[in-house]
Amino acid sequence: MAEASVRVVVVDDHSIFRSGLKADLDASIDVVGEAHDVESALAVVAETAPDVVLLDVHLPGLAVPAGSTGGAEVIRRAAPELPATRFLALSVSDKAEDVVGVIRAGARGYITKGSSGGEVSRAVHAVATGDAVFSPKLAGFVLDAFGAAVGETAVAGDELDRLSAREQEVMRLIARGYAYKEVAAELFISVKTVETHVSAVLRKLQLSSRHELTAWATARRLL
Amino acid sequence: MSTAPAAGDDRIVPRLARPRDCVATGVAAGLAGHLGWPVVLVRLGFALTSLVGGAGLLLYLWLWALTPWQPGESAPKRRAPVAWILLAAAAVPLGVAAVSGGPPTGGPAWFWPALAGVGLIVAAAAWAGFLDRPDADRGPRHEFAVRIVATIALAVIAFVIVFGPAAAEAPRPAFAVALAAVAGIALVYAPTLVTRWRELSEERTRRIREEQRSEMAAHLHDSVLQTLALIQNRAGATSEVARIARAQERELREWLFAGDAVPDRDLGAELREVAAVLEIEYPVSVDVVVVGEQRERASGELAAACREAMLNAARHAGGEVSVYVEGRPDAVEVFVRDRGTGFSLDEVPADRLGVRQSIVGRMRRAGGEAEVGPGAGGVGTQVRLRMPAAGPGEGGTRG
Repeated sequence: MAEASVRVVVVDDHSIFRSGLKADLDASIDVVGEAHDVESALAVVAETAPDVVLLDVHLPGLAVPAGSTGGAEVIRRAAPELPATRFLALSVSDKAEDVVGVIRAGARGYITKGSSGGEVSRAVHAVATGDAVFSPKLAGFVLDAFGAAVGETAVAGDELDRLSAREQEVMRLIARGYAYKEVAAELFISVKTVETHVSAVLRKLQLSSRHELTAWATARRLL
Repeated sequence: MSTAPAAGDDRIVPRLARPRDCVATGVAAGLAGHLGWPVVLVRLGFALTSLVGGAGLLLYLWLWALTPWQPGESAPKRRAPVAWILLAAAAVPLGVAAVSGGPPTGGPAWFWPALAGVGLIVAAAAWAGFLDRPDADRGPRHEFAVRIVATIALAVIAFVIVFGPAAAEAPRPAFAVALAAVAGIALVYAPTLVTRWRELSEERTRRIREEQRSEMAAHLHDSVLQTLALIQNRAGATSEVARIARAQERELREWLFAGDAVPDRDLGAELREVAAVLEIEYPVSVDVVVVGEQRERASGELAAACREAMLNAARHAGGEVSVYVEGRPDAVEVFVRDRGTGFSLDEVPADRLGVRQSIVGRMRRAGGEAEVGPGAGGVGTQVRLRMPAAGPGEGGTRG
């Protein structure tokens, strides 16, 4: 790959998973640190100031408040210190409350651990350049949470609680398994525009006070 | 038959067991059957020996406790209304107690009869609560009636003892009898309390089991699921090892998090299940995303068409297959997309019925529509199924 090397910290409480992931990542990705719990993750991230932190959602740690997840806690504490560092959540879970928890804490994307090394590498690069990474499952969840299936559509551009028609189209195609490039071709727009839409959706997901999102979160005491 | 050998080895002796259809406990009938004596004789024997220091009664109780029921499924049926008989019998000692004013020489004469009456009443309630309860002919109403009568009787006894002349004449025996009566009322409700207690401890056991299960789920989530994810990661999406790991992961996840399965599944759950099966049988990884409300059921035509489309994708394309289900108020839409070599419906020979019949034809007959075309960027195949929401007339869209 022609892309510049990306400095990454891998945070996961299973050493076997960390080493497996490291071996699978592209050569363009430089793993500069590893951590196994919330405390060590905060220390390593502060020390190395990486471009991207690959973060397990469920992390052990003494200081994790009840109802929160270790991953969300790391983001919440480390992000204010390091504005240039992006977080990509990685989990074996597809559960909506896990997803909404880390995304609302500030993760730029969410992929499942079943993803191949190549997929993870691509996601890391995308996150490093400021894009959001949506798995089909996350896209489906967003469509559900923002009421797209029942026909709710934003009319104003700055509306946080609903998706615009274009954003819905993009999310639908991602949920159907389309890559950004394929989404762009399907909708006759540029890949850059697709990325803009996805980032806008991510922002809404993080900032929206929409009932379904907050209901999930409060029910599981994630916020 | 007519020639019974001297030794008893040929004669079948019925096992000592109590018949399920009995008068009170079945002890006499069971013993009579075992010994080959007439039942009347056995009963008379019990009655007579009871007069000799209560030996017969003890034997009776001993046999009652130790003799099993005859094998069978039905609940025992007792013909005699034993609970009521006991209640009525209680009237006898109580009557004796009432008339015997008695000089207080070594205790009042009414003491023992009154205590016996209380005991009989409690016994009646216990009988109704424990023994008559499983009997369908008596049941809870009978138990309730016996209990009410027993409670009233005990309350009256306690009242009479405490407020009558007895309390003044002999305070200590009176107190004992009153206490026995009050304790008796508690005992009358003991069967219910015991049942409640048993239910409570069962409930607690269930909760503990549930807790253990969720604890185990958390542990498996952290260990086994991670390892399975890693295996899939390292082995490549379509390899045999990865498929097995993925199928196992799905199965385990289902078991851990889904809880009890719903009998009539919705479309999303059905397609996830189908995906799991396909992943075991074919070199394919199927991603199912479900959005919106799920009104379509697993038994519907849409589900059948989806299964067919997924099977086609798995069989002919393999690799990664994406399934997307969106339930909207007006219709349900399903997209099945693979990244295989792709095919066009026009190129499929007319005699190949698979796609034409089982997907397109099926959807059309059910009032929906189906489209089979190339996937995004001309890669692979995409099947789009659309089923309008059934109107109030159920299936009103059918031609």
